[in-house]
Amino acid sequence: MIGWLHHQKRALTSALRTLLRQPLSSLLTALAMGVALSLPAGLYLILDNLGRLAGELPAQPEISVYLAADATAAQKATLAERLKKPDIERARFIARDQALAALATEQGLTDIAAGLPENPLPDAWVVRPRDTTRDALNRLHDELARLPGVAETQLDSAWAERLQALLALGRTGVWLLTALFAIALAAISGNAIRAQVLARRDEILVSRLIGATDRYVRRPFLYLGAVQGLLGGCAAAAVLALAGLILRDPVEHLATLYGSAWRLHPPSAPELLALFAFTTVFSWLGAWVSVTRTLRRVEAGA
Amino acid sequence: MISFSQVTKRYPGGHEALSGIDITIAQGELVFLTGHSGAGKSTFLKLIAAIERPTRGVVAVSGQNVGRLSRRAVPYLRRNIGLVFQDHKLLFDRSAIENVVLPLDIAGVERRESLKRARAVLDKVGLLAREKANPVSLSGGEQQRLCIARALVARPALLLADEPTGNLDAGYAADIMSMFRDFHQVGTTLVIATHDERAIAALGGRILHFDHGRVAEGSA
Repeated sequence: MIGWLHHQKRALTSALRTLLRQPLSSLLTALAMGVALSLPAGLYLILDNLGRLAGELPAQPEISVYLAADATAAQKATLAERLKKPDIERARFIARDQALAALATEQGLTDIAAGLPENPLPDAWVVRPRDTTRDALNRLHDELARLPGVAETQLDSAWAERLQALLALGRTGVWLLTALFAIALAAISGNAIRAQVLARRDEILVSRLIGATDRYVRRPFLYLGAVQGLLGGCAAAAVLALAGLILRDPVEHLATLYGSAWRLHPPSAPELLALFAFTTVFSWLGAWVSVTRTLRRVEAGA
Repeated sequence: MISFSQVTKRYPGGHEALSGIDITIAQGELVFLTGHSGAGKSTFLKLIAAIERPTRGVVAVSGQNVGRLSRRAVPYLRRNIGLVFQDHKLLFDRSAIENVVLPLDIAGVERRESLKRARAVLDKVGLLAREKANPVSLSGGEQQRLCIARALVARPALLLADEPTGNLDAGYAADIMSMFRDFHQVGTTLVIATHDERAIAALGGRILHFDHGRVAEGSA
């Protein structure tokens, strides 16, 4: 066990020395990995942020039911009674005054709302049906529209559904891109390690002659691959941070123009850890494949 | 300790380096391999260290059939064998002492202990004062002594040397042979391929004369 620990320590030290001996080439390799990875990681973050935005919107289909201005108390009571039936999951009443107040504060239209001679908005119900199939929604929508005292009904969810579908498609695209970039990452790492193995050909051959096992020879290169991958992950995080910094103000300005307080969210600590783990593991894998193949070639040519 | 039983080694291309060799070397023996270049001396050493595999026959070291050893088992065999090469095979990107500690690093010996043992063996070969020197700055004789120090630092029971004095002048060659005599006296088995007849005469021991892949016995 102690011998094993000595081997690990020496291999790690050797890997770090190799990196420090060639700082420029190590930096360029890490940057190549970081830039390559920042694309899928950036797309993931964009989708994550859009997902948050979509999460604030009604993801489930809702029907808005607007009452006529002259609807009687009996008609209002009939509608309220209908909305208590089991096919309705939830129904929320929004009084016209409440709607105007919300319009004034949330959309920044306080002055306009205050200048209105009377409140033009109707009383409304926001209804969430239990059965969300297209036919059931249409049936309920038509039924509510025919009730006396109802001026208008609107099925609100269609565009939100489309946005969710687009986000789901985007997420699938991100995973596909991630798989492709994982291969690219392993290739970058493998190529860098191959050069290192060839540069240390004599040392490897001498070590083999005096009793070095495959694992002993391979270990420093695997550590080198893993450390390079970790540095690549750090470079990707730095690229994302920089992009976030540049985009933050324009995005916030755009959101404000749409009356939203939505802000760009940076990657969370678990997401960053996942990024570092991903780059480390795939770089290690690339190093493993490369060192195994190159060692065979080096030894065959000895 | 070492036995060759009906061993033939044919290289790709058809050259037969050894033909049906039967040899036994006991523990603690001092054996010289002589013969012209290409007679099979180096192949004989390579078969013992499992650097080459026999085409036919059995090569056994300490009871192990080395021709049948798995790739994984070969390094453990080599850790018990000290190898001295004519071209030294030193690493020029590290100091003399770093070259010597390499076998101990490979064996997983703790660093402080490795350095202690490396200094002891460097002292034995007269290079302690040059421990920090790069091998490039050492003379041919010093490089060969450094190679011997690396071969001995793990205290192997068997030392194989391929033309250890081949490129050295008479003075250095005598020093190195005298070093080998010291190691033999403490029980190390030595198998030395050499053309140096003066050294053979000075040290005594068993002679295996190689000629076109066949062996004849003799003594100094």
